[in-house]
Amino acid sequence: MSVTINTKINGQSVTAVAEASTSLLEFLRDTLEMKGSKLCCNTGECGACTVIYNGKPINSCVTMAADANGAEIVTVEGLADGNNLHPVQQAFIDTGAVQCGYCTPGFIMSVKALLDHTKKPTPADIEDAISGNICRCTGYNKIVDAIHLAADRMAGRA
Amino acid sequence: MEYFEPKSVGEALSFLAKHGADAKLIAGGTDVMVDIKFKEEPGGLVNIKKIPGLSGIQENGKGLRIGALTTIREIENSALVHEKVPVLWEAAHQFASLQVRNTATIGGNIGRASPSGETLAPLLVLDAKAKVAYSDGEKVEPFSAFFQGPGKTSMGAKGLLTEIEVPYPAPGSKGVYLKHAVRGAMDIAMVGVAVMITPDAGKNSIQDVRIGLGAVAPTPVRAPKTEALLKGKPLTAALVKEAGALAATEASPITDQRSSAENRRWIVEALTRRGLEQTWKAATGKEVA
Repeated sequence: MSVTINTKINGQSVTAVAEASTSLLEFLRDTLEMKGSKLCCNTGECGACTVIYNGKPINSCVTMAADANGAEIVTVEGLADGNNLHPVQQAFIDTGAVQCGYCTPGFIMSVKALLDHTKKPTPADIEDAISGNICRCTGYNKIVDAIHLAADRMAGRA
Repeated sequence: MEYFEPKSVGEALSFLAKHGADAKLIAGGTDVMVDIKFKEEPGGLVNIKKIPGLSGIQENGKGLRIGALTTIREIENSALVHEKVPVLWEAAHQFASLQVRNTATIGGNIGRASPSGETLAPLLVLDAKAKVAYSDGEKVEPFSAFFQGPGKTSMGAKGLLTEIEVPYPAPGSKGVYLKHAVRGAMDIAMVGVAVMITPDAGKNSIQDVRIGLGAVAPTPVRAPKTEALLKGKPLTAALVKEAGALAATEASPITDQRSSAENRRWIVEALTRRGLEQTWKAATGKEVA
């Protein structure tokens, strides 16, 4: 059975049809051809598929596409302003917080969600915010550096 | 797979009545979506998230009423939960990851009836109750009779959990939820132990104690023999030791990829001891003698 989904993704209204069993991640990647959000564990454990759903970070792989109806979703494709990267994206580049890069979009969405609400995150805030994102290249130190740099830049401290 | 988004509890119940055990309820979806991907699709899926009035935390003087669709993150962010029932807050705080907490609901965690469900041992020691809607009316059932096996509850495929009633612990009580897992985040508990102690008026002995064990039996369970052993006595080091050993015998764990049964019993013993010591100190201001 298919469902019609009316949603807003990165500020743009989208209407599309998907099977009821489709996850939001499959809807983004396969129906809408937006490949920025990554498929990895597909069980809600690794965070590679993280998107911001009505202001909150969630795992799109374990969210029904049907729940996008009436919701506002931000994906990694929605962060840059033309050629200008979002401060979180730029900070990941400047600190070298990327190795293979597969987990990076998910981390960036979790960090954006954190910094949307927290101007100066504590180490505990950061640990909590990225606790659901796994990096198998074990680059966590540089990721934490990137978060501090992005927070400082967004608050005008750097 | 048929798909249905009921606008009321009544609509959801009629769909369940029509499809029986072939239908599955979905709320947050963090468990059900994994089943759909890796096991099998149910014949019918009932997404209850659009039903109004099933979400939120309210105080009614003697306790809290938590709507079944309240997310784990809403519970974690609730000042009321943190202040009045910290044992439930601790479970919400240690639940999976931020992303999962933003989506997963307390009703889903309960309906799933996994022995390791993070909120379940705390709900048992809080003497919480489930409010369940059936086609012939509403029933309020204590959680002590609600869980019947892994994935099995007394409401079966016929009921819809609408609300959780959480009475406030007696004045002076202190509770704790201790979770043992390899990773701090995003890991299922090997063992979870919830302890709630109420001291007597002079803070010299245990007036009431409740111990809930998670992930060590087909359902979350209380440890009634251990509770009976402790009641009416001051908490001494010897009693802590005896209670830990007895609690380990009240668990009936299995061996799986997360832990052997033997190891789980040791952890039940250790966490019961730790939980008793912590709650005794918090409730009486005294170290265990």
